[in-house]
Amino acid sequence: MSAVWITNAAAVTPLGNDPGELWQRLLAGQTSIKPVTRFRTDNYHADLASCFDDLDPASGGSRGPTLLERLIPQIGPVPSEALLITATTKGGIDNLERTRRDLPAEARDMLLANMAEKICAQLGLTGGSLNINAACASSTLAVAQGAALIATGGVETVLIACMDLVTEFVFSGFSALQALSTTPCRPFDRKRSGLSLGEGAAALLLMSEARARREERSHLGTVLGWGAANDAHHITAPDPNGHGLQQAIEQALKRARLYPEDIIAISAHGTGTIYNDRMELKAFKTVFGDRRIPIYSVKGAIGHTLGAAGGIEVALGLKSLATQTVPPTVGFTNPEAGAEGCVSPTSLKIAGECLLTTNSGFGGINAALILGKGWAS
Amino acid sequence: MTAVITGIGWVTAAGMGRGKDRTRLEMPAASLPEITRQAVFNAPYPRFGRMDRYCRLGLAAIAFALRDAALEKWSRKRNVGIIASTVYGCLNTDVDYCDTIMSQEGRLASPHLFAYTLPNCFLGEAAIRFGLTGSGFIVSAPSASELWCLRMALTNLSGGEFETVLCGICDLARPPFFPEADPAAPGALFLVIEALGRTDRTVYGALRLNRDGTPEFNGRPVKNLATLAREGLNAAAARRLPAPDRPPDPNLEWHFA
Repeated sequence: MSAVWITNAAAVTPLGNDPGELWQRLLAGQTSIKPVTRFRTDNYHADLASCFDDLDPASGGSRGPTLLERLIPQIGPVPSEALLITATTKGGIDNLERTRRDLPAEARDMLLANMAEKICAQLGLTGGSLNINAACASSTLAVAQGAALIATGGVETVLIACMDLVTEFVFSGFSALQALSTTPCRPFDRKRSGLSLGEGAAALLLMSEARARREERSHLGTVLGWGAANDAHHITAPDPNGHGLQQAIEQALKRARLYPEDIIAISAHGTGTIYNDRMELKAFKTVFGDRRIPIYSVKGAIGHTLGAAGGIEVALGLKSLATQTVPPTVGFTNPEAGAEGCVSPTSLKIAGECLLTTNSGFGGINAALILGKGWAS
Repeated sequence: MTAVITGIGWVTAAGMGRGKDRTRLEMPAASLPEITRQAVFNAPYPRFGRMDRYCRLGLAAIAFALRDAALEKWSRKRNVGIIASTVYGCLNTDVDYCDTIMSQEGRLASPHLFAYTLPNCFLGEAAIRFGLTGSGFIVSAPSASELWCLRMALTNLSGGEFETVLCGICDLARPPFFPEADPAAPGALFLVIEALGRTDRTVYGALRLNRDGTPEFNGRPVKNLATLAREGLNAAAARRLPAPDRPPDPNLEWHFA
C-alpha cells in the first residue's frame, strides 16, 4: 500500500481567498456570515449566509465557473495524467433558477459532471475525471476515494476539487426544513438553533509518497486513514446514537493503524443544528471515551459549504497540524452537554501528529479522514 | 482481486426484473413504467409512495437486485455499500422543487421535495429499507461514468471497505432543457457484487480489476453495466441457473469459490 501525501492545498471562501488568509482570520475569531443580498430573503426563516460580495455570474449564467476561476490558479502544477475527482452537491443549480425565470442559462452547468469537465479543460488533464456526490460528505468521500485509489496503486496522482454555492434553491430548502439559524450559527453551543449556509471551494493534490518524493513536492500532510458508513436511520436526520459516524471513525482508525489516543484533535462537522452536534458528541464520546480531546468546527466562521465542506476543512486541518494549533469555534459560548472542556471559543495549542476530520449528510452518510502532520508547511 | 456478481435487478422502459426470473434485460429509449409499491414490494410500504420518481426508480432496482441475491431480507444491519452512476441525477425533482419557490417568492417552498434534491437520497432510502450501513455515493463523469462506478466498487471491496457492494446506474428521462443531449435510455440497473470466496450464493460470473484499473468480466473487458449484466445473464442461462426459490445444486459449477 502506498502512503498518500497531500502536496498542495487551496481554498477560497468569503473569509479568505487562500488557506493562509482564511486560517489567520479564523484564528482571529472572525466570521463572514452576514445578511444575504444575492436574492430576497423576506419569506425565508433567516437571512444570513456566508457569501462572496463580488461573485458575479459567468457568461453561462452560473456563479460556479467564477468561483472555479479563483480556485484554479492556486492549485499549482498538476501532472497532466492526474485523475480529477470533483465534489459538489448542486454544482451550477443557480442556472436552474435562471432557466425557470426565463433568463439565459447554460444548461450543462447543472450537470454534476460539468465541473470536472471544465477543470480538466482548463488544466489540460487527461487522466480521467468524475464527480462524487454524497451530500455534505461529498468532498470527504472524494478524498477517501482518491486516497484509496493511490494506496492500492491504481493511480499515482489525484486532484480533488470541491465547490458549492449559496443559491436561493438551497437556501429556501434549508429554510423550509427550518434548519437555518436566525443568528450566525453556534456549533456545539447550548443555545444553537440551526446552521448558516456558506459557499466556497477547495482543491487538494494527492500523490503517492514515491511520486511526491521523486518530484520533490511539498509534504503538507498524509491521508493516513479513511472510513465511511451510513446510519440506515433517516433520510434527513442523523442517527441520535451516532452509530454511523462511530463506524466511519473506527474504520479510519483501523486503516491508519492508529488508536483513539493517537488523535490529538477533531475537526468536526459541527453544523450548529441541534441534532447534528448532539449526534457527533455522542459518537466522539463512544470512540474517545472521557478524554477531553479538542474539538472544533469552522462553520461559525465560514458557514456550511455543503459539498465543499470536507475539502476546505482538510485544508484547514493541515494548517492546524502544521501550526499545532486548534482554531476557535466561532459562535461558541456555552457548551452543549458533552462539549465541556473539548470545544473552545479561543484557539488552543496542541502537540501531536494526527487529526481526525468528519462530515455527515443527508441520506445518512458519515465520513471520516485521519490526517498526518506534514514536513513542510 | 476477483469478485463475483450474485444479483442483478433492473427497472427499464421494457419492464422490471431480476436475473433469476430469466427475463431479458433491455434498455430502450422510451418511457419508464409507473413504479408502484405493488410492482416492487409485497408488503405495505407507505413511504415508497411519498418518494420522488428518481428515488423510487433507484430503490426498486436495488430491491430487485438484492432479492436476486437472496439478500433482501435482514435482521441485523449489514456493511453493504452502494455506488451508483448517474448523468442527470435528481434534476427532474430539482425542477419540481424549484417551481415551488418560484411561485409566491419562496413562501411555498416544499420541505418534502427539497429532501429529495440530492442524487444520493435513494441510497439513503435503500440503506434504511434494507439495513445497509456501508458507504454510498453517486458518481457522475463526463465519460465512462459507469466504469468509474464499477472500478470504485471493486477497489473498495478489495480494500475491505465493505463486504458486499451494490453497483449500478440510475437515470430518469432527460430533463426538457437539454435538447442538444443524446437521448440516453432511462432506467436503473444494479448488480450485487461480493468478494470471491466470501459468498456461497449462486453467481453470474467473475469480475476482476486489472492493474490499469480496467474491469474484466469472465476474462473480457467490461464496456458498460448493461452489457455486463447481459453477459452475466447469458452466462447464467448457459449454466442453467436454478429457478428463484430452488436451492443451488452443489454439483454444478456456479460457485466460483
